[in-house]
Amino acid sequence: MDPRMCRKISSSESLPDGDNVEYEISNVIAAQESDDNFMLDGSPELHSVTWLDDEQIEDLDLNLEQTNLCFHRVDSADIIYRSRKKKCKMVGKYVMGDVLGEGSYGKVKEMLDSQSLCRRAVKILKKRKLRRIPNGEQNVQREIQLLRILRHKNVIELVDVIYNDEKQKMYLVMEFCVGVLQDMLESSPGKKFPQRQAHDYFLQLLDGLDYLHGQGVVHKDIKPGNLLLTLDQTLKITDFGVAEALDMFSQEDICYTGQGSPAFQPPEIANGAEQFSGTKVDIWSSGVTLYNMTTGRYPFEGDNVYRLLEAISRGPPAPPPASVGPALSALLVHMLNRDPTLRPTVHEIRRHAWVQATPPFEPGEKLVNPRSRRSDELHTSTVIPYLVERHYASAQEYFTERDLRQGLGDGGSRTMSTAELSDGGSGQHKRRWHSSCGRLPSCRLT
Amino acid sequence: MLSPDINDYQLTSIITECSDGGAVVYSALYKPNNTKVAIKRYFVDRGKEKATLIQQDVLTRKELHHANILPYLASFVHGRELYVVSPLMSFGSCRDILDRYFPEGISELACAIVLRDVLQALQYLHKQLYIHRSVRASHVLIGANGVARLSGLRTAASMMVRGQRQRKLHLLPPPDHDNANLMWLSPEVLEQNLKGYDERSDIYSFGVLCCELANGAVPFAEVPTTLMFTEKVKGSRPQLLDCSTFPEPCLEDNEMKSMYNTDSGVGDSADAVSRLRQVYATRKLSETFHQLTDVTLQRDPEKRHSASQLLNHAFFKQIRRADFLPGLIGRAKPIKPDPDYMTALSIQEQLSEMVIEKSTEWDF
Repeated sequence: MDPRMCRKISSSESLPDGDNVEYEISNVIAAQESDDNFMLDGSPELHSVTWLDDEQIEDLDLNLEQTNLCFHRVDSADIIYRSRKKKCKMVGKYVMGDVLGEGSYGKVKEMLDSQSLCRRAVKILKKRKLRRIPNGEQNVQREIQLLRILRHKNVIELVDVIYNDEKQKMYLVMEFCVGVLQDMLESSPGKKFPQRQAHDYFLQLLDGLDYLHGQGVVHKDIKPGNLLLTLDQTLKITDFGVAEALDMFSQEDICYTGQGSPAFQPPEIANGAEQFSGTKVDIWSSGVTLYNMTTGRYPFEGDNVYRLLEAISRGPPAPPPASVGPALSALLVHMLNRDPTLRPTVHEIRRHAWVQATPPFEPGEKLVNPRSRRSDELHTSTVIPYLVERHYASAQEYFTERDLRQGLGDGGSRTMSTAELSDGGSGQHKRRWHSSCGRLPSCRLT
Repeated sequence: MLSPDINDYQLTSIITECSDGGAVVYSALYKPNNTKVAIKRYFVDRGKEKATLIQQDVLTRKELHHANILPYLASFVHGRELYVVSPLMSFGSCRDILDRYFPEGISELACAIVLRDVLQALQYLHKQLYIHRSVRASHVLIGANGVARLSGLRTAASMMVRGQRQRKLHLLPPPDHDNANLMWLSPEVLEQNLKGYDERSDIYSFGVLCCELANGAVPFAEVPTTLMFTEKVKGSRPQLLDCSTFPEPCLEDNEMKSMYNTDSGVGDSADAVSRLRQVYATRKLSETFHQLTDVTLQRDPEKRHSASQLLNHAFFKQIRRADFLPGLIGRAKPIKPDPDYMTALSIQEQLSEMVIEKSTEWDF
């Protein structure tokens, strides 16, 4: 028996709203593990179909032992599946893909520019959600204004802004990135990077910061969670929600508000200073970021935000472990100076010995790669299945268990995942991949 | 190197407008030694083309020296425009030749001669750690002596980044104004995933060029961009059209029409379509030509042969020393000085206000 079929249950007792349906086969449930492409559907000619999602099925499995099991024999032709529609959705000229991440403001999804075929990421903002966040709408407006002017290799590019008044949604179309440093750190041994890798990212962070400060922009929320990586390992500073454009005609870089993440805030903000130097806030946060990337720890810790801020405002930072070496240790101490005026500028940091020399890989150290998504370490475009749906829409929307088994019998033993599609998968009977080849006589299928 | 002084050049005709109105190509005479040259005049202010790309084009060509790569002779700024001087390639681009004279494609021997020259250019480029990323008929120019030269180096990418040799690149080449360049790009370039691409993606584009030269039309020209993408990703391979591959005439006429018309509009009429069908269905291309195309259009870049390997392919054995490309494309007429244009020029000094008809696609 195919392992994917092991999940078939036909016990009425275990179903949430199945009352006295001992004799009905209506509550046939089957789940296909490791399979995104199919969704179970009750047979259309039966009544009271129960729709379950993966989690509910999981729950059923857990409760199996307590329930009174009663298996019915079900003919494989009576179990009917419906291919899950990866319904192709367009926003402007962009084709929507899967969710890449979720923030407090809304989802981040992958998109494909249908004209240039360039992969993009889109931040979807719902007006309703934004209103609930303090300064939400203001921060978004500021972010858009800033990103529209900023153009640098190490600053995320805002490609397009699309408004949908009807749905009260806003789409911020950005460059596509494969990973966040924060996620990579969490999945790496010791929650840190080899110094070689941290060095590479830190240099790019300096380039980006140098540009921003040159443009009179203070980011105020530098942290691994706001540093993204593109396919070619270019670091991108993102999230300008609390950034601030300085007064162009002022010699000073005075700021009055700080809304960044507590662990990365300098003592002057933790102390509640009324005004402070903006650029030196970014230097401090970059110092904490470098500290975190190279040691896996934070210079200040606390059980809660209050304790944390108290630690930052009172004490000196925890000295970096000796293992980081004297050069890096000296740089960290310099950047995490309590007195903002004594903290180095970007240019001074660039001249520092640790920055000047590229550290070698220590024995046993390995490059940490962007965390792979489920079964796809290549980060293949998630838009492809939607395009497949659009261009090769399956004529056979419903098919039975028997069809499926027969299909599995000759050739492909698995259903196609995005990653497999790119191997030029063939022998897939349920997907009407080949339906269009008649229309393309100048092409041959592999 | 030629002199960077506009007064040393006598413009003789307009060859084409390109880059969506951002530039015009003229043929001209270099007065000091009476040689024919082509001058590309960029309207940098007006142009949609980024100045950095023009700079990239010039810098790359300055660095590269090969008989099959369009050399750079001079560049200078005059008034508000930038001028880049290259040798005149009398027969224009292969795309022009196809559009004007050979909608069904050029002969197999002519293909072999052009393709060999292109491979030599690619072999050299790849050795210099460059990926061309825009191998297409409009970037293959034919000189009066029948030698093909590769142009379009503004989208070329070096595998040397920040002094380090990269094994793979990941980003799409800079887009052209109508995104047409995507049709020649390999599936792995279009996919933009962590696997990336290397110089073997040029070999795929070379395979598309094989089809373009032999069939007259570019594969995927008439399908939506996103369908072209999924077709390539799933490994469907363009083919040379002859009696062995051309499907039975089962398609409706209007469907045929949409499939085989070329950019120029030749083939819009039902007559032209049925004539094309006739040509494809009755001709026979050699088995080695099919093999060459097939091996270059492999979905898996590992399975494609390198430019050096391909130069030894049996397909090129058919070329004899005496074969002369201009003779094989006899219908095509070389670019000549245009007396009307020269008269007009003397009357009307204001070149920039002239209306130029877009008739050819000579894209440097």
